[in-house]
Amino acid sequence: MGIDRTGKAGVSRRQFIRTASALAGASLAMPYVGRASAQENVLYVNTWGGTWEESARKNLFDPFTAKTGIEIRTVSPVSFAKLAAQVRTGVYEFDVTTLGVVELARANNAGLIDNAEGKVVEDNLFPGALVANGIASHSFGNAIVYRDDVYKDGGPQNWAEFWDADKFPGERSLQRYAGRVLGMALMADGVAPENLFPYDLDRAFASLDKIKDRVAVWWTQGPQSTQIIRDGEVPAIGMWPDYAQTAIDDGAPATIVWNQAVVDTAFWVVAKDTPRAEAAWQYVQFAVEPERVARFAIESGSGPQNPKSFDFLTEEEAKGAVTSPAYRDQVVFFDVEKIMPQIDELQRRFDEWIGI
Amino acid sequence: MAVVSADETMMDNLRPRGRRLSAILSSPALLYLPPLLFLGVFFLVPLGLIAWMSVSEPSFGFGNYVRFFSSARALTILFETVLTAGIVTGCALIIAYPVAFVAATRSSAFGNLLLLVVALSFWTNFLVRTYAWMVILSSDGPMQAALAAFGWDPPPRLIYTTFASTLAMTQMLTPLMVFMLYAVMRRIEPAYMQAAGSLGARPFRAFLTVFLPLSAPGIINGVTLVFITCMGFYVTPVLIGSPRDMMISGLIAEQLEQFLDFGGAAASSMILLVFTLVLFSIYNAFFDIEKIWRR
Repeated sequence: MGIDRTGKAGVSRRQFIRTASALAGASLAMPYVGRASAQENVLYVNTWGGTWEESARKNLFDPFTAKTGIEIRTVSPVSFAKLAAQVRTGVYEFDVTTLGVVELARANNAGLIDNAEGKVVEDNLFPGALVANGIASHSFGNAIVYRDDVYKDGGPQNWAEFWDADKFPGERSLQRYAGRVLGMALMADGVAPENLFPYDLDRAFASLDKIKDRVAVWWTQGPQSTQIIRDGEVPAIGMWPDYAQTAIDDGAPATIVWNQAVVDTAFWVVAKDTPRAEAAWQYVQFAVEPERVARFAIESGSGPQNPKSFDFLTEEEAKGAVTSPAYRDQVVFFDVEKIMPQIDELQRRFDEWIGI
Repeated sequence: MAVVSADETMMDNLRPRGRRLSAILSSPALLYLPPLLFLGVFFLVPLGLIAWMSVSEPSFGFGNYVRFFSSARALTILFETVLTAGIVTGCALIIAYPVAFVAATRSSAFGNLLLLVVALSFWTNFLVRTYAWMVILSSDGPMQAALAAFGWDPPPRLIYTTFASTLAMTQMLTPLMVFMLYAVMRRIEPAYMQAAGSLGARPFRAFLTVFLPLSAPGIINGVTLVFITCMGFYVTPVLIGSPRDMMISGLIAEQLEQFLDFGGAAASSMILLVFTLVLFSIYNAFFDIEKIWRR
């Protein structure tokens, strides 16, 4: 798992070079590459690697190949910039990828993803599955995780306590991801979860100012956050529960707090103008069928978006899913519609705020 | 009429041109062609495309450059990048010089062993070495324990500091510096030092006036390579540096991944490139290799 999510940062320089050389090669190779790939019976899916890919291979890819005869090949790392580069150059490394809410909004605004209209049969999907040309697949929390050996009588139970240096002293770590961190900051400042969106940016940054000096590290990759909590670099961190679970399984004394988890959703999208669009849309609809996405999500440590999925999960399994009705009153889902107009501004302000 | 005369001129020109062609075909300069072609296709063309992108997106003009130079944040990052690269290069030179000196001047068996150790570290992937440093410097790691054992208790935080990223980058680039220095030092005749000694110079004096100037090309090569490599570092500062340690390549990645700002990212890349080139033309003007050789 390390390599792939790390890839986002680690490969960036290479990525950039590759983007550039792709541009160079594009004019020469485009007609051939496009045509040659279209003839193959193959679909290229952008993968997160690790348990994600294992679970996807078992529950989504292989069954899809068995049903349609279309082979699925994976491409890593997950890169938003590559999605954009593909559309610009017409050279497609992957046809299908998953995007979070903020990226989905940005990709849709920038015309990087294929229009779902007429490509999907909405009756086959659950209500609310189709958002901004993406199909909702699974959700993952951004939750408080604390070290039991530091906070022996229990750690912070909500973001206000996470922020509270008197009650819970010690350094913090958060993801370097504006859309998620700002929601945490607002809740820390006392904004009720139901009034979170759209973000009150001035208030959010004022709240962030209070914790800035205590943030020892802004993590950027999943495995990095696992390492931080496993080694006890900070006593409390905001991170993905499945990555925290890895550390706990390794013996780290840590507790995951589901309360006030900021929940982001991954959407399947099809790269705009890919020669394999037909197979891609076929795959995307296949991947969100209730039982299939239920198994895929649970085995990869996230929660299925399709409400019917819970008919196929045991009670124990549902506990690990952030989308489970049991957590409905505790967790906060991104309000896609309300956050969309804000994404560029909040990103820019966050980067300015975080400084260098 | 006109057609005929054009034909005649062509016939006239054909002979000398044909001869010139065969001269070109048999010239050894032709051997340059494959590498030039390779460089052109895989280096110059993409670079040209990036340069073009930086002035053509989102609209034609120097908007991306104006934005870069009017952003206090971008300028600070550029400054920090140069400063970090400078510090790392300096540290690497100080550490690498004695290592290369010993490897190049002592018995070849010992020298080879030393080089092998250095090379082993160099062959290890950057990311792996970054994670290794993460383990060494982590809060419950050996470094903290050692500091505590020597009485610095509680020890200061090491990981996620500028110190950590500087240390790790120095360790990563020191082997490169060693190789550059070694390559030059190996070719310095031991007899020169002996001659200096026979003329009455003490070893240190002989080193300063004879060996050091002779090894200068190695220093310049090493400093150039290490500095340029360090300017492009990205992963290490992000993973183990302080939250404020962003290098310019981090800014470029951010422009691409978060804003899909291809024009802005291209402009930042060009600025990094031009900045590095300018810095080294200044450097070369002051520390002219020829001058050092002649002294």
